[in-house]
Amino acid sequence: MTGDRAPWLRPMVALATSVLFFVPLYVALVNVFKDGPKISESPASLPIPPTLDNVRSVLTRPDRLFWVSLTNSVVITGLSIIILTVLSAMLGHYLVRAGGRWSRVVMLLLLSGLMIPPQVILLPITRVLQTLHLMTTVQGLVLFNVGYYVPFGVFVFAGFMRSIPVELEEAAAIDGAGRATVFWRVVFPLLRPASASVLIFLGVWIWNDFLNPLIILGPGQGTTITTGIYRSIGQYQADFGGVFAMMLLATLPVLVFYLFLQRHFVKGLTGGATKG
Amino acid sequence: MLHFLTFGAPGIAVYVCFVLAPIVVSFGYSLTNYNPFNPPTEYVGLRNYRLLFQDPEFLMSLRVTTILTVIVVVVPNVLGLAIALVLDRRGWFYNALRTVFFTPVVLSTVVVSIIWVRLMADDGLINQSLRGLGVDDPPGWLSDPSYALYSLGIILSWQMLGFCVVVYLAGLQGVPGDLLEAAAIDGAGPVARFRHITWPMLAPALTINTVVMLITAFKVYDHVQVITKGGPGSGTTATIAYNVIQTGFVANRQGYASAMAITMLVIIAGATAVVLKILQRREVQL
Repeated sequence: MTGDRAPWLRPMVALATSVLFFVPLYVALVNVFKDGPKISESPASLPIPPTLDNVRSVLTRPDRLFWVSLTNSVVITGLSIIILTVLSAMLGHYLVRAGGRWSRVVMLLLLSGLMIPPQVILLPITRVLQTLHLMTTVQGLVLFNVGYYVPFGVFVFAGFMRSIPVELEEAAAIDGAGRATVFWRVVFPLLRPASASVLIFLGVWIWNDFLNPLIILGPGQGTTITTGIYRSIGQYQADFGGVFAMMLLATLPVLVFYLFLQRHFVKGLTGGATKG
Repeated sequence: MLHFLTFGAPGIAVYVCFVLAPIVVSFGYSLTNYNPFNPPTEYVGLRNYRLLFQDPEFLMSLRVTTILTVIVVVVPNVLGLAIALVLDRRGWFYNALRTVFFTPVVLSTVVVSIIWVRLMADDGLINQSLRGLGVDDPPGWLSDPSYALYSLGIILSWQMLGFCVVVYLAGLQGVPGDLLEAAAIDGAGPVARFRHITWPMLAPALTINTVVMLITAFKVYDHVQVITKGGPGSGTTATIAYNVIQTGFVANRQGYASAMAITMLVIIAGATAVVLKILQRREVQL
């Protein structure tokens, strides 16, 4: 729309806007490699000479906050997304193939779950988990995650299922395969793009989750990566170098994941943005 | 039946146990004065709801949440569309810039919050730069009660902007180039082409962005908890989502907090339904 008179205008505007937008990320990044006084004196300067003290101090904290949080986050995220992928693929398959009014009602109930704020359910959830002796445990949080995020999984799988011809399953069934075999051998492999979307999105969401681990794991029983960072600002208000280092280390897995799988992120997000 | 038991039931069971049933239980709590540390629990009917709408703290949080929601629905949508129009070209350069804009979306809210706490601090980059430009007394972005809420709005908008950009970019890719060309040949200027071709075809993207921003903004909790703790002053940035947690888990007034949470759910569901209805009607008219 800039016309042909100024072909340089578009890239210049694009670059300038992006640079401005990038400033907060740049500041966070360079401050990982600066010492405390420099962070407040000149937040935007390049870290020359760079120091690894902040990173080292995070990795060698005596309370092992970073390592404990990392382990918890990996276990919680990993278990949650594997269970979620399997459960929601099966439920999505069931709802699409069974059809009928009852399936549509269930689907509608699930879809309305996409907008329910955790605040509305957390109070009763803590009671349920207490009764099951799962409060402040990793298993409890995983169980909650599965229930809370299953609507998203079903939404993605059901959408994708509709593009898989039912004849394929019928043919396999005529050949004598049972329903479970047909699903796992024939359908599930075809659902791979949907599985990728579910794993990627829920992986990032659950990794970044803050309120649910804060309440369900509680303050005493270990932290995830996000509640760990939160706890570290409470304790060492002054040491922003350490906090920035921990933030970078905690974000690195997500960033690497994102940079490699960008295409999937964009595709998954924008499936409904275009018509036809 | 077997199909249901093996394929349908497990997923439905966890959803019912951890989402649907808790909503019903929450509603039940909201009709009592339940406080685990202050028994006995009694049925109080709709008293909590009546109190809620006379409670200045709740009315304040309603105001705070509404202002924040308006900012987060409008700012990322408008800027996101503008940026998408600029980035709507092929090639590595524009792809790389799109990556930059989307990065905050995949970052944790806690990380984003802490980055901005430093930027907006009195000795942070923003005020240092303002002083460098000759502003003697730059505002306390997060410490001044009249700025803090808008600062939160800026932070949230920054984090969500990339989402809108990416959705609009996808929408723009669905606009047929030959249609725009034909219009140009017929003498339509860039503004007319945008108004009559591009903008109507972006209707589905607008719907997605508006609904997602609405739901995201309405339940904002993390940023408030990390950045302002509801302050400065009394409740100047306390959203409903923040007050539910404070009332329920810190003050342990679980009956009252549940009434607040149910009210929040009703508002969010109502607002989403209305917005969806309006925006989807626009889509159909195409």
